[in-house]
Amino acid sequence: MMQPSKVLSKPPRLMNIFYGLATIGALIFIAVALIGNPGRAWQAYLLNFLFFSAIAQGAVLFSALMHTVKARWSGPLADVAESFAAFFPISLALFVILFLGQQYVFPWLHEDLHGKEVWLNVPFLFGRDLAGLILLYGFGLAFLYHRLYFTLKDLGASGPVGRRLQARWDRRPPDEARMAARTTVFGILYLLAFALVLSLVGYDLVMAADPHWYSTLFGAYSFVKAIYIGFGALIVLSALLHMSENNGYRVEENQFHDIGKLFFAFCLVWADFFYAQFVVIWYGNIPEETAYIIERTMAAPWNKLAWVVFIGCFVAPFLILINRKIKTVPKAMIVICLGTMAGIWLEHYLLLGPAFNHHVHHLPLGWVEIAVAVGFFGLLAAAVTGYFKQFPELLEGHRLKAKEV
Amino acid sequence: MTADTISIMGVFSSQRGAADAIDRLRETSWAIERVHSPIPSHEIEEALQPPKSKVGWFTLAGGIVGFFAGFSLAAFTATRWSLIVSGKPVVALVPFFIVGFEFTILFAVFGNVLGLISQARLPRFETPPLYDWRFSGDYFGVLARCQTDEQEKLTRFFEENGAEVKTDDGGESP
Repeated sequence: MMQPSKVLSKPPRLMNIFYGLATIGALIFIAVALIGNPGRAWQAYLLNFLFFSAIAQGAVLFSALMHTVKARWSGPLADVAESFAAFFPISLALFVILFLGQQYVFPWLHEDLHGKEVWLNVPFLFGRDLAGLILLYGFGLAFLYHRLYFTLKDLGASGPVGRRLQARWDRRPPDEARMAARTTVFGILYLLAFALVLSLVGYDLVMAADPHWYSTLFGAYSFVKAIYIGFGALIVLSALLHMSENNGYRVEENQFHDIGKLFFAFCLVWADFFYAQFVVIWYGNIPEETAYIIERTMAAPWNKLAWVVFIGCFVAPFLILINRKIKTVPKAMIVICLGTMAGIWLEHYLLLGPAFNHHVHHLPLGWVEIAVAVGFFGLLAAAVTGYFKQFPELLEGHRLKAKEV
Repeated sequence: MTADTISIMGVFSSQRGAADAIDRLRETSWAIERVHSPIPSHEIEEALQPPKSKVGWFTLAGGIVGFFAGFSLAAFTATRWSLIVSGKPVVALVPFFIVGFEFTILFAVFGNVLGLISQARLPRFETPPLYDWRFSGDYFGVLARCQTDEQEKLTRFFEENGAEVKTDDGGESP
């Protein structure tokens, strides 16, 4: 399914595959939403919207973060991380489409919310989340625009969009010091917006699915999760590009080691944020707080899924990534990262599922969720591949040594 | 050191020089006994290619011991006075894992420091023979051993690689 390895030699065919996947996913989604089970289709849509948007947001965060802290080691990885920004406009459009399915993705719509309706009402919720996402994606793309100025100045632009940007900068050469300063400002704004907007989206679209439950740390938990899977996706993509014979893109062993360590660290951070919420709720033992946890971790059929998530996202990667050597083996890291990302996908499902499916005996997880996930994957992969078609020089391997500031 | 071999110290003024000499020494039959450096040097490390450090195992052992020590400490103290608080079990997994976790970190650090000290063969009270006080300043030392009859060859080797040569330990200023 995932073979961006042929990005340079046969991009049109690869694009067709991804468009095909996206179309299949979209057709199945529309068919199920119209004639089958609209609730299930829209819930799968929400789940995959959250998951794939978080991947793109988290991966771009890597570049903004590395730029902000003036990291010198991350050159080729940051170039690949930025490619995920191509999913931003699509993600925004997908969020707007979610408006159509509002009946199915907000289980609280017809409940008595005891005063919470001031915050939890559809127009306000969509308004603030849309504004937040526009802000976040705006900062992300502005950061990318300013950074591309320096990247393209180094590498030269050979793709269509790259040449257009270059021509624009040639016509009116911008002040370099000002460009550099703005890159940093937009990078920092992106980091701030990332924390705030992903918290907001986490509260509004995930936590509020069970409107009587709350955890103040849930927002932070949401964006830490996004960083975790964003870095995972970045490792997978750069490892695939690195292993491919068809391009000049290479990542050095110590760079793989360093990003592997970061990924390992966020594995711990994820577990920490989970446990920090869990232990407080356990101690407090207040029914309105514990109900959420009990339903998801102790009651069938969700309890087994909860263990799969915990082992897949924390125990297994933790034990495996203690090993130093494995972090430098791209193939192994692809498997580990994909496994962990699958775990986080299930975790999204575990958080949302019980709110939509009360009193079920079997996990309502099946081909609808997977088909919609395939469709979303197709969109993300097509966006990333399209980005590299616009900026093919990023894969030509001029940046073997990480030298940038 | 047997009677028919002799140790010769090459004193280098640059890191690169020392690393290159080590590289070339490794191709000869002469044995490298010791290398002195005033700084932690990756170049010399690459040239020497030492076996993988064992410090990590000390850290791991410390961490594992620490987890069980922490958990047992919490469980042991809780059972001294089996007071049930708000219906929680006396030996409760959820909070005691935190104690276990903290002890994992603490003991892993202890293990790491012990591993570092033991693997670096510290403390060392005697100055090793042929040590030059400049090795704590801005010079690098490479100590190699050869057969007595090859002494001149090894000396020449060091000099060709830009080193100053020392063979005995007499008359050094502190």
